[in-house]
Amino acid sequence: MSRREKTWWIVAGVAILIYCLFPIAWIVSVSLKAPSDLTNGQFLPTNSTLVNYREILTGGSKDLFLPALRNSFGICLIATAISCLLAMFAAYAIARLDFPGKKLILSTALVVAIFPVISIVTPLFNVWRQIGLYDTWPGLIIPYLSLTLPISIWTMSAFFREIPWEMEQAAQVDGATTWQAFRKVIVPLAAPGVFTTAIIAFFIAWNDFIYGISLTSTDAARPVPAALGLFSGASQFENPTGPIAAAAVIVTIPVVVLVLLFQRRIVAGLTNGAVKG
Amino acid sequence: MSNRRRRGLGGGAAALVLASSLAACGSDDGGPPTLNWYINPDSGGQAEIAARCSEASGGAYQISTSVLPNAAAGQREQLIRRLAAEDSSIDIMSLDPPFVAEFAQAGFLADVPDDLADRVTEGVVQGAIDGATWNDEVVAVPFWANTQILWYRTSVAEAAGLDMTQPVTWDQVIEAAQSQDVLIGAQGARAESLTVWLNGLVESAGGSIIEESADAPEDIVLGLDSEAGRRATEIMRAVADSGQVSAAFSTDDELAGANGVVSDRGGFTVNYPFVWTLAQGLVEDGGLDQAVLDDIGAAVWPRVDADTPAAPPLGGIDLGIGAFSENVDLAFEAAECIRSEENQAYYFTTNGNPASLASVFDDPEVLEVFPQAPVIRESLELAAPRPQSPYYSEITGVVQREFHPPASVDPNSTPQSATALMEAVLAGDQLL
Amino acid sequence: MTQTTLPPVEKTQPKSAPHGTISDRSRAERKLGWMLAGPAFLVMLAVTAYPIAQAAYDSLFRYRLTDPDNRSFNGLSNYWVILSDNLWWTALGVTMLITVITVLVELVLGFALAMVMAKMLSSIRPVVRAAILIPYAVITVVSAFAWQFAFDIDTGFVNSWFAWIPGVSADTDWFGGQGTSLLVICLAEIWKTTPFISLLLLAGLAQVPEVLQEAAKVDGASWWQRLWKVTLPNMKAAIMVALLFRTLDAFRVFDSIFIMTNGANNTESVSFLAYRQTISRLEIGLGSAVSVLLFLCVVLLAGLFIKGFKVDLASARGEG
Repeated sequence: MSRREKTWWIVAGVAILIYCLFPIAWIVSVSLKAPSDLTNGQFLPTNSTLVNYREILTGGSKDLFLPALRNSFGICLIATAISCLLAMFAAYAIARLDFPGKKLILSTALVVAIFPVISIVTPLFNVWRQIGLYDTWPGLIIPYLSLTLPISIWTMSAFFREIPWEMEQAAQVDGATTWQAFRKVIVPLAAPGVFTTAIIAFFIAWNDFIYGISLTSTDAARPVPAALGLFSGASQFENPTGPIAAAAVIVTIPVVVLVLLFQRRIVAGLTNGAVKG
Repeated sequence: MSNRRRRGLGGGAAALVLASSLAACGSDDGGPPTLNWYINPDSGGQAEIAARCSEASGGAYQISTSVLPNAAAGQREQLIRRLAAEDSSIDIMSLDPPFVAEFAQAGFLADVPDDLADRVTEGVVQGAIDGATWNDEVVAVPFWANTQILWYRTSVAEAAGLDMTQPVTWDQVIEAAQSQDVLIGAQGARAESLTVWLNGLVESAGGSIIEESADAPEDIVLGLDSEAGRRATEIMRAVADSGQVSAAFSTDDELAGANGVVSDRGGFTVNYPFVWTLAQGLVEDGGLDQAVLDDIGAAVWPRVDADTPAAPPLGGIDLGIGAFSENVDLAFEAAECIRSEENQAYYFTTNGNPASLASVFDDPEVLEVFPQAPVIRESLELAAPRPQSPYYSEITGVVQREFHPPASVDPNSTPQSATALMEAVLAGDQLL
Repeated sequence: MTQTTLPPVEKTQPKSAPHGTISDRSRAERKLGWMLAGPAFLVMLAVTAYPIAQAAYDSLFRYRLTDPDNRSFNGLSNYWVILSDNLWWTALGVTMLITVITVLVELVLGFALAMVMAKMLSSIRPVVRAAILIPYAVITVVSAFAWQFAFDIDTGFVNSWFAWIPGVSADTDWFGGQGTSLLVICLAEIWKTTPFISLLLLAGLAQVPEVLQEAAKVDGASWWQRLWKVTLPNMKAAIMVALLFRTLDAFRVFDSIFIMTNGANNTESVSFLAYRQTISRLEIGLGSAVSVLLFLCVVLLAGLFIKGFKVDLASARGEG
């Protein structure tokens, strides 16, 4: 590759970087602006300040933000764990066993994945308030399964199909018990797929907004995306822009960390599930 | 753990159903019962009053506050959804008066004892009592009363030759703003505040959005399709077309109007008393010159017709007691404490939210912080509430749909189309 | 015009028992298969089939939550109310507009990104790949706020940065009209989901046989000809899968509209309309009917894709 060509690829790479990171940089910049600086019309703050972070972490908005953060983590982790567990069995069956209904299960997962969330919310809202699940953790965990389970089944079954299952038999021939063969051979091979699936499922649950605003109404279960829309400023006379930006930055940190640590796996997971044979 | 419900992580759904129906768990650990007060966002005043009343109760109850969304519609949504779920954890609610009728009609408000109703309406400005009344019964406790006044820059009015000691009309305000090239602030955003503005205009023109309310939707008599409705629409359009509104007029709320009037191009804004508190705060933080603060004046809302007194918008907050609360008696006791004269004066001076008790306006301390208190009181006496109806949310929804953006309303067709849409929506024949 | 693709390779079915005979082994396998996959299957049905059935039932009633005593059966009249209302058709139009614009732009842009990434130096590829995952992973609501603040007349920088473009000035109120509001909504959606598309397309690109590319090169085909005759036909499956997923996803657009305009200036989508009927107005009957209609729209779209474009997802991933 010529030097000139090389330069062009670097330019293209930098352009992609800017495209991807610009809005993030902007929201970080907004979060560092003091209330009086918000309208400076510039990208960067005149003077950086942490006042917005103080507002949401220790100030007036902490009762809104901190419980929401706790709810989001708790609900998303539980929903992810449940759907990964269910998907693990299903994906094993799909990848390893031959039984009629395989296609039915995968098609069902597809239909569920494209299901309009709002169509589920309407009846759920009505049922939940009757049976007391409205504004509770399980009241969100259960519908979150409709988001996380289909993608988990697809992604995991794609991963599992690539596992060389013969190695299990080989290990048994070598004298290992079934359990040992499973634990020593299969688990290490399957774990990365399960883990990747969990990350993707977590992203999807973390992103939910409709369930969050429709099925909760207090800090008992309200997740962060729903809480973001409810922020007010430090007083009723201040725009909530700064605190919203600060909260937005904080909830973006976990996903950015996950992306940076596991980018290769996530890409594999996303594309495996959808495209590859 | 006093005011939060215990939650079982990952437990079975049945166990969690139980947990979620568990309320007022404070009594379990022997402490005083906790009353949950759902408040609209403010500058911390209601939280402080909650603390004061908890203290004053001598251990009879503890009030904890939860903040509702910013927008009035959002507040209603949050509360009504919980109440429809017969949530017993709602003890006290800060309610916007126009939604009181709907809550009362649906049976979501606990009955106010007669003796208490008498006590909490004595010496209260009439508009605030009306807002807390439905079908001739007091159904909520009036807390504070809000009204819009005309905030203006004295220097601008002088330069335009406008005598602010006399009542002014909308036409005069528009003309003065044009001659001085300054901003007129009003609430053009698609939100409850748009209905507030339109209702003020219609009432000032001698009409009403609902002429006659009724329990059954088909019996409601609508009043927009009238000369008053036409005139109100005309003024709304004239303001939007005056060239003196902000560039983002169709998304302007009260806060934008308040910031506009203290800006370099500031001229006039119809707005709530909090403008004064806001401006004072800005001066303290160094964001505003004292000279600007000294330049700010207040007058009664502009008239539609030069010879008819204006009927300014009425707002404020009533305290509703949740029908499913397990501590109704204590909640009423707390509400009575919250709306005490002392607390109203405190709330007025610190948060800029005016009292519903007339006597507070004579308090020298209040007058010192709020020199405009007499204007506010006069305005409260003239003010007209928004339509009272269990279907208010539909009415305001139609207004917001048909009268937004203000720059496209047509005096000769918008009132009619809005009326037709209200009828269709109330009859269930159209979406909203 | 001929397109160059490799002939399909016969898939070998490694483990299936011969047809006709059901051995004990295969019966046991079938049982085990359902035992393992059954719970997931049932959960999926429980969280979707049951609610939509409930919605279909509720949609036949006039039912307002604040007035539960007057709940009454009124047949299909909720559907008639909706379908004869301009609001529904406006919302449907807005939804389709957003869907078409975002999906088309995303497809082109995503393809360009994929081409760049495919050829990228291996030294910078991990950096770019991590960056491109960030829009995908960021919460939609956060992205909506970022774009809203950027274009906001008070807090934004767009007006001051792009004042040199005719029609943009310090006073441009992006959220004051339908067209400009939708533009910003589309931009936010495009920013957030293009990376996902580009990753799918990148995986598709990797499946284009190198042999064919080389052969075309030898034949003297230009870069453009190779793109149209070799690359694209060979990644049709990947494109269709990306298209299907994104179209159905875009059709459900809600978060950005809720945050940026709250439906003002005719920017309401079908999802938003359903939300408002049920959650804001508490009109369970009407809201359920909108939900059912939205569901039918999505089914129709998916059906069109699968039948019309012959996207066989199962075969696209070798499920046979």
